[in-house]
Amino acid sequence: MGHFLLRHQTPMLLAVLLVLIAGATSLSSNEALQVTLTEMFIRVIVVVGLYVFIGNSGIISFGHIGFMCIGAYAAAWATAEPSFKQIMLSGLPAFLQEHQYPFLVATAGALLLAMAVAFVLGLAIMRLSGTAASIATFAFLIIVNSVYSNWDSLTAGVSSIIGIPTVVGSFTAYAFAALAILVAYLFQISRFGLMLRASRDDEVAARASAVKIMRVRLAAFVLSAGLVGIGGGLYAQFLGILTVDPFYLNLSFITIAMLVVGGMASLSGAVVGVVAVTAIVEILRLFERGVPIGGASLGLPQGSQEIGLGIVMALILIFRPNGLSRGREFAHFAGAPLPAPSTAAPVAPPASAPAARPEGIPITDERKAIV
Amino acid sequence: MIEPYVEPAAPGVDRGLTNASELAADKLVVRFQGLAAISDVSLKVQRHEVFGLIGPNGAGKTTLVNCLTGFQRPTEGRIILGGGDTAGWSASRFREQGVARTFQAGRLFKDMTVMENVEVTAAGLGASLRSARKHAKAMLGWIGLADKAALHAGALAYTDQRRLGIARALVLSPAFILLDEPAAGMSDAECEDLMELVASIPRTFTCGVLLIEHNMRVVMGISQRIHVLDGGRTIAEGTPDEIQRHEAVLAAYLGMEA
Repeated sequence: MGHFLLRHQTPMLLAVLLVLIAGATSLSSNEALQVTLTEMFIRVIVVVGLYVFIGNSGIISFGHIGFMCIGAYAAAWATAEPSFKQIMLSGLPAFLQEHQYPFLVATAGALLLAMAVAFVLGLAIMRLSGTAASIATFAFLIIVNSVYSNWDSLTAGVSSIIGIPTVVGSFTAYAFAALAILVAYLFQISRFGLMLRASRDDEVAARASAVKIMRVRLAAFVLSAGLVGIGGGLYAQFLGILTVDPFYLNLSFITIAMLVVGGMASLSGAVVGVVAVTAIVEILRLFERGVPIGGASLGLPQGSQEIGLGIVMALILIFRPNGLSRGREFAHFAGAPLPAPSTAAPVAPPASAPAARPEGIPITDERKAIV
Repeated sequence: MIEPYVEPAAPGVDRGLTNASELAADKLVVRFQGLAAISDVSLKVQRHEVFGLIGPNGAGKTTLVNCLTGFQRPTEGRIILGGGDTAGWSASRFREQGVARTFQAGRLFKDMTVMENVEVTAAGLGASLRSARKHAKAMLGWIGLADKAALHAGALAYTDQRRLGIARALVLSPAFILLDEPAAGMSDAECEDLMELVASIPRTFTCGVLLIEHNMRVVMGISQRIHVLDGGRTIAEGTPDEIQRHEAVLAAYLGMEA
């Protein structure tokens, strides 16, 4: 049992990391901070979902926020006020229009609809490789955006869907984030994860090893879309009001940036990336609002948040091209799956890691022995 | 000294046509935009032999191996495994049906461990993770990489990378293995070790070997039959003795090196 826990400590350490951050923020009674925290947990779900596909297959997807949009609207259809739905969303089928479903049903709907769309889309896109596949996912994002902005009878077009019960708080979001981490981890250590990573390293050799590349890619694509769809479903039930706008380029790029900054070759990187980028953005926002120093208030001009984030990201990538995690997984306790004696030496944690990270967690790797 | 190989039980693994006794190319033609890379080549590899495939650079050896493993569609002609046509098979289907290969460039999964490299093939063939690990372990033990199982494949020494490529192809005993210049760039001593290993494959695994190799002495030493290509055409096939005395071969190939 002890051995089992040591072997699989990575997802637990990541879950603990998020708890520690939640604990640290709860010390302040700042309500805005609680909102930020919930939003961060939802982004953990989305970015971990992205990682399941991008990290394991090596194919960048620009389209996953489309699945978030699909999940969010699915949840909204299930939970919004029937009176609102009957007037504004007249195109909805009766079972959605006339009823209001509980949180879990709505979230399951978000999961299933995103997965179903990903399956159909994946049948076409997973035949492509590399850049071609990435461009196709981008096209998908644009299609989703156009459809959801214009299908007035289902999505209320460019106006909002209101009356969604705001049942998602930081605790619920955390629970789902931990679940997403666990699912991603189980996929990564599964046969499918193994075969998919082989195809990432060398597609030709993977085919010679009897790997059915399209099938393993499709499995990862559908699973990752499901996680991102859940993220969307939670987001809708966190905001209470839904429009199409947030599910487009900005969010696509910020989530991909989170994955890249954290290190897209590891699950730890996906989680750390969300935490780090969120921390940077919050600090810059703080300065934009103005920080009182002595009697005066020091404030950065509007827009410096975006510029600052860009600069910090560029610096991280210059000094850590493989992201903060260097593409490795967290492993703190000795006896962890250390591949070889020579890899046992713990590597110091990244200096630029977010402040909330517990000190002294060395990073070693169970998959990628650096020799 | 080559050790005996004890294969673990493999429940749930589909061995495909691993009882096929013969892998054959029948009147094969491959043209790239009109340019013939292979013209009317026929050959048969038997299950119990090392079959040498030689020829000068650009003779079409690798293209032929690509055809025999599903990586290249023939323009004309057929690839026949155990008497059955393989038209339309994908590369992964070929491996499932018992035709394995290695690559000239190695093409290891560099970011994965040595062990994982071998596990991938077993998993691809349908083995559970646990069973894949067992097979990978046995195979690495046989090929002499057991102590390096946990290393990064990219960190292996050159000769070990070559061995790993062979181990990855040989796991779960295919019916045929096609080795594309496995000893390229090795010293004479390293090459001899490797060829001892290659020569033992038919007996140990009941697996036919098609060997592309530049070093004539090596090929002559371990092959039962040799097929010579030049400019995409067959110029001779026979035992090493026959090939060494064949005039066209001497002119086309040996003459250049002598």
